[in-house]
Amino acid sequence: MASVRLEGVVKRFGRATAVNRVTLEVGDGEFFVLLGPSGCGKTTTLRLIAGLEYPDEGRILMDGEDVTYKEPKERNVAMVFQNYALYPNMTVYDNIAFPLNVRRKEIGLTREEIREKVLEVARMLQIEELLDRKPGQLSGGQQQRVALARALVRRPRVWLMDEPLSNLDALLRVAMRAELKRLQKELGITTVYVTHDQAEAMGLADRIAVMNRGKVVQVGTPREVFHEPSHIFVATFLGSPPMNILECTIEPRGGGGVVKCPGIERPLQWSPGGVERIYLGVRPEFIRVERSPGPGRWEATVEVVEPLGTEAVVTLTIGGAIVKAKVLDEGYRPGETVYLELDWSRVQAFDPETGRAIGELARTLRGLAG
Amino acid sequence: MKSRLRENLRAYGFLAPALLLLGVFVVYPIVGTIIISLETQSGLGLGNYLEVLSEKSPSKALVIPGNLGGPPPWGALVHNMVWILVHVPLTTFLGLMLAYMLIHVYGRSLVKSIVFLSMIIPMVVGGLIIRFIFDSQVGVIPRIFDTLGVESLARTWTAYPETSLASLILGSVWLWLGFSLTIHSAAVDSVPRSLIEAARIDGASEWQIFRRVIAPAVWPATLTVMVMTLLWDLKIFDIVYAATQGGPGGSSTVLAYVMWLYFARALDYGRAAATAVILTILTLAAASYMIRRSLRG
Repeated sequence: MASVRLEGVVKRFGRATAVNRVTLEVGDGEFFVLLGPSGCGKTTTLRLIAGLEYPDEGRILMDGEDVTYKEPKERNVAMVFQNYALYPNMTVYDNIAFPLNVRRKEIGLTREEIREKVLEVARMLQIEELLDRKPGQLSGGQQQRVALARALVRRPRVWLMDEPLSNLDALLRVAMRAELKRLQKELGITTVYVTHDQAEAMGLADRIAVMNRGKVVQVGTPREVFHEPSHIFVATFLGSPPMNILECTIEPRGGGGVVKCPGIERPLQWSPGGVERIYLGVRPEFIRVERSPGPGRWEATVEVVEPLGTEAVVTLTIGGAIVKAKVLDEGYRPGETVYLELDWSRVQAFDPETGRAIGELARTLRGLAG
Repeated sequence: MKSRLRENLRAYGFLAPALLLLGVFVVYPIVGTIIISLETQSGLGLGNYLEVLSEKSPSKALVIPGNLGGPPPWGALVHNMVWILVHVPLTTFLGLMLAYMLIHVYGRSLVKSIVFLSMIIPMVVGGLIIRFIFDSQVGVIPRIFDTLGVESLARTWTAYPETSLASLILGSVWLWLGFSLTIHSAAVDSVPRSLIEAARIDGASEWQIFRRVIAPAVWPATLTVMVMTLLWDLKIFDIVYAATQGGPGGSSTVLAYVMWLYFARALDYGRAAATAVILTILTLAAASYMIRRSLRG
């Protein structure tokens, strides 16, 4: 177990900067997820921690020890690959024993001791009956367990995982997710996990680093990054469907002011200095759809309904803008006129130029709720 | 039933031209050679085979039991076997090793192209180059040994019975390495990079990765290289003809060269055919193993 620290790490491939001044701290025993779209630099960051790539700038520390230019084997990390990377010519037993066998003399283990360790992790992952088989004879889920066992057998300082569940079918993925979390908590191994799947990230992580274009946009607990996104990118990347972003203005009116969004107007109890453009963010879960008009309700038209069982995602147009709402499926029909109600206590505000969250403004807007 | 018969006839119709060509150019010569090899003055028999196998003159002998403890000549068949024993493992291993080492090298295509050059040189020219490589005046190998002070190897290798066979075998390693490298490179490139990376993270050294991950993963390619090299070694003729003419004193003869001597020098077609049949049987044994394996694969 160890803490991992990246300080201003930069990695370039030719002219492209894959990782751009990334600074991160992963605590001892923490389950840390790097989340982002394809090509955001999350896998390169993981490979830098593993020692499969060396940074062009910056430092990588493990337990305070500088490992920036150390070989992978000197770092005592283990990695689970997306395609599992099991050695096809070896049996499951030999695959799991491989990390111990190749440095048997170095770590001073007898064959019998290696056998005990392999059997122990095989028991832990319930793959004892597969030990004599070759990887080609295993299902995806079984291969996944073998890969995990191989990564566990020598009790690494850090466990690195590169989208390890993405090759599994949906049901198995959910089951493995739970098991992975249990295992990690039980063993307390510091884990850095890469995924583009936000549900996986939210379910597994103690903390998430959301990455985009080689940079870390926000680091926080799943709750923080979901409810308090620091950047419009995080707001629109997380959530299914993601946060609605409305182009609005804040204008002075009378003694106070007004926030004007497409099809929505809301008085403010303070007066802004002038006309200000803002992006207003509101999650689909915090929009109510009503069939009757009323105060604080705004007319909209249903465009598409995607039933999800008890809930439905309803796509609406309001003042020319498109808004999605996640509501109880009450048989809305395309073309139907409905009335939206925003939960103002949950809205976010973003600067249209920088995309950064304007916390103060968001708090002011929320203060109007009720 | 009738339509099936018609379909079969049609299929044979399409096959006929190919079968005819095979019959004229493959089956007939083989059968003809076997018949000639069995023809003796007293009718059909194994006389030619017995004479070829018991031949004593060093330039045509297949096995010279008396010489086996000392330097060549040992007989053409033994030379072929020695060739296989040295050449097959050396070429296979070097090709695989080089293919693995080259995945780490920038500009590996250029290196591969240079090594592959030896494959496009006509073998007769290759034979002449071997003569030059091992020549005491202009050759690089004797020069190296001269510098090292090993006088017995600082002379023209092809001119001495002790070294002529060795010079041909080592020269053939150079000539054939391009083939081994090309096949192995394609195989090594198809090994998922994540396997190598996984082994590296697991703490394996480069040698352990080579031996325990790469070599087993490319085994089918290695087997192909081994069998193809073995077949080439059995049939080897051109570089022997160009470099040493089997000499000096029969110290570098091989089966195909002996066959040629009987055929073109002695005009003894019976013995030439008998040697050809022996050579074909050996080649077929190796080839059938390969075909059986590939059918199973």
